[in-house]
Amino acid sequence: MSAVFDRAGHEGSGAGDRLAPLCVLIVASEPLAASIGEEVARGLSDIAEVVWVDDGAAACAQVSAHPDRVVPLVLITASSASPGSSDSIDTRIATLDTQAILRRASVLLLTDRALHDDLSLSVDCDRLHAVIRIPGSPGILAWHARAQTVRWLSSHRPTDPRTRALVAADGRPVAQPESDLLRLLELDTQEVAAQLLAGIERVLGPRPRLLLPAGTRLIHEGVDVDAVLVVLRGRVALDHASAAGDLRLHHDSTGSVVGLLSLAQQQRAFFTARATTEVEVVHLSFEQLDRALAVDASLGAAMAAVSIRALAKRLRRADQLQVEKTQLNHVLERERRQLSEALRQLEQARLELVEQARYATLGEMAAGIAHELNNPVAAMLRATTYVGEDLERVLASHPQGRLASEIFAAERDRPPRSTREERAARRRLEVALGDAGLAQRLFDAGIEDPERARALAADPTSLDLVEAVAGIGSAVRNLEVASRRMCELVTSLRAYARPKGEPVAGVDLHAGLEDTLRLMAHRLRDVEIERSYGDLPPIRCHPGELEQLWTNLLVNARDALGDTLGGGPEGRGRIALITDAPDASHVRVQIRDNGRGIDPDILPRVFEPRFTTKQGAVRYGLGLGLAIARRIVDAHGGTIELSSRPGCTRVTITLPVAGPPDDEDIET
Amino acid sequence: MKLALLILEDERPVREALRRDLVSFARHVRLEEAEDVPTALEVIEEIDAAGDRLALVMADHRLPGTSGVDFLIGLAADDRTATARKVLVTGQADQDDTIRAINEAGLDRYVAKPWQADALCELVRDQLTAFVVAAGVDPLPHLAVLDAERALAIVRERGDL
Repeated sequence: MSAVFDRAGHEGSGAGDRLAPLCVLIVASEPLAASIGEEVARGLSDIAEVVWVDDGAAACAQVSAHPDRVVPLVLITASSASPGSSDSIDTRIATLDTQAILRRASVLLLTDRALHDDLSLSVDCDRLHAVIRIPGSPGILAWHARAQTVRWLSSHRPTDPRTRALVAADGRPVAQPESDLLRLLELDTQEVAAQLLAGIERVLGPRPRLLLPAGTRLIHEGVDVDAVLVVLRGRVALDHASAAGDLRLHHDSTGSVVGLLSLAQQQRAFFTARATTEVEVVHLSFEQLDRALAVDASLGAAMAAVSIRALAKRLRRADQLQVEKTQLNHVLERERRQLSEALRQLEQARLELVEQARYATLGEMAAGIAHELNNPVAAMLRATTYVGEDLERVLASHPQGRLASEIFAAERDRPPRSTREERAARRRLEVALGDAGLAQRLFDAGIEDPERARALAADPTSLDLVEAVAGIGSAVRNLEVASRRMCELVTSLRAYARPKGEPVAGVDLHAGLEDTLRLMAHRLRDVEIERSYGDLPPIRCHPGELEQLWTNLLVNARDALGDTLGGGPEGRGRIALITDAPDASHVRVQIRDNGRGIDPDILPRVFEPRFTTKQGAVRYGLGLGLAIARRIVDAHGGTIELSSRPGCTRVTITLPVAGPPDDEDIET
Repeated sequence: MKLALLILEDERPVREALRRDLVSFARHVRLEEAEDVPTALEVIEEIDAAGDRLALVMADHRLPGTSGVDFLIGLAADDRTATARKVLVTGQADQDDTIRAINEAGLDRYVAKPWQADALCELVRDQLTAFVVAAGVDPLPHLAVLDAERALAIVRERGDL
């Protein structure tokens, strides 16, 4: 149920209209609603009509039915409209807030309860504008409703003509606060100070104005304060001496009363007040102030207003300083982090330089060793051939030359056998001859046929010759194997040294990869090669070097697949080649294999040059493979990264399109 | 019963060179070769089965699979081979490996590659003699490969002469 009590401000219609009807809602049950409505209407007779409804739902219905109305104020009673309902104030205000029009309204709670614990949300959301105890003194409710409505109009409808009639141009209500203190607080600082001074002069008679030049100290830090200064004109700064130098706490202007805080606390000044312009002040000693306040009690309000304003200003300044300090701290912290990051990067760069220098030295050394070894090794390799050839000539003139040549050649060209096979063959000979010592001699001479062994055993001269030429044969074979190994080593070391010559521009990286794959086809025949080539710009590089790089990486990948070929747990051995251009100035090549992965213990050292024994056979160059790869990539100004876990080893090379940096002196 | 000498070396040229340098022992000592640890263990079985005694092991350190030092440590724990003299012939055992070989395998000698043939033969003779002394083997059948003076001293002590 609802009732319209009064109609005012009814001109025009529509909520957007400046003269939309104003309506104050009262949510209360009868008969309380009617009495409240009547009282409120008395306070708002010239401003708004007053409507009352039973509950929140009815209030919502009411505003829905009259969307043109503007509702500045809602008064709700604490006692529930429907008896037995336990709706909290929060719930009821939330119900009202479902309507946009009501969400903007100020809410006044009328309560007869001594304690409320059901409106925390409303307070938290700033939805409660006054709490009024009912029943109260007659007229109080009307006065409240009016003041709240005027305040609401001034902030929500400043251009409304009805607002202009109630509120002055500066935003202050036309009706002044009743108390001296609040009235004074609404004045500006200068005015309050003037009123205070006027009051003091009424008691003490005219006070002389003191004219002081800029720089004059009005209060001295650390000195007892026994007077205040009313600044009538000019500016005053408050400085505090600290370990970090003079600190400007505050810069005040005309109207302030300097020394008030120190006076209030009866203590030494915490700061030095200094005129920063020419100032005009009135000096009031503690006793003068005391007397003025004692004689005219109304001065107390002016004094309080001056103090509160000064304190508020200073407090705001302190808060602002706190905010500034926090912001500065953030800036400092950010800069500190940037600095430490920069430091970390510098350290990283230094380590990389040291590393580069180390590899550069190794590269030079490798080149030097390769060069020094090359000639002697070549000589050795040739010499083994000569020894063989010359021996053949010597034996040609020997009476048993044919036998000796045959034994020599057989021993020289004897293919490798396992020690297990050799032992078994020797046992067979032992059994056939029945003499272990003799069998051993004959076996060492390469004689395994029992018939022949028996014949030789019976002919000691021939046996001696056979043993001797067999010895030469195996020595020549071993010499040749050894020198070939050294040759391969020299070749590896040379590859580790840097290349000569200028980089070539316009190189198609994919073509180089394909060339390498073709050359390695025989080694990769059991491996599934997956290509995933992206669009790459032509690059500037040492193409031969890059082919060496792909070769080394593919050899390693192939090597890692050793166990999984022919269907390991990961299926068939697979090498994937993936290329792309991460940005306009770089190309990237990824070589991935599904092999056994690299032992995490040695992963950090894989780029260091070393030699390894792999599966019993020493393989040359493989230990250098990644070191060479790294050297090549470094020389091109690129990066190489390796990650590995069982079943997935991935080498990622990034190269600059522009090619090796011009300054290639790092390693030479 | 023959004394046996086992060469454990994975590289054929090195193995052959060792054998050739020790050929003078071959007439009197059972000279066996193995390229890896499993083969070496087979050889030891054969030696044992034939009633011979493993007197000396000359092992490389860098081997496929098990290292030479680990192999020697295993021998030291086996009753049949505990008394055998143990020599590392290597260019690649680092200090830690060598310390382990001495402390855990009772390593007797360390021969660095490349070796001198004379010194190697001297060392083998010395070690075979030490084996005979320590194992209480009758030195007389093996005098040709032993340090004759020390071997005869034992015989004299026993009062057989």
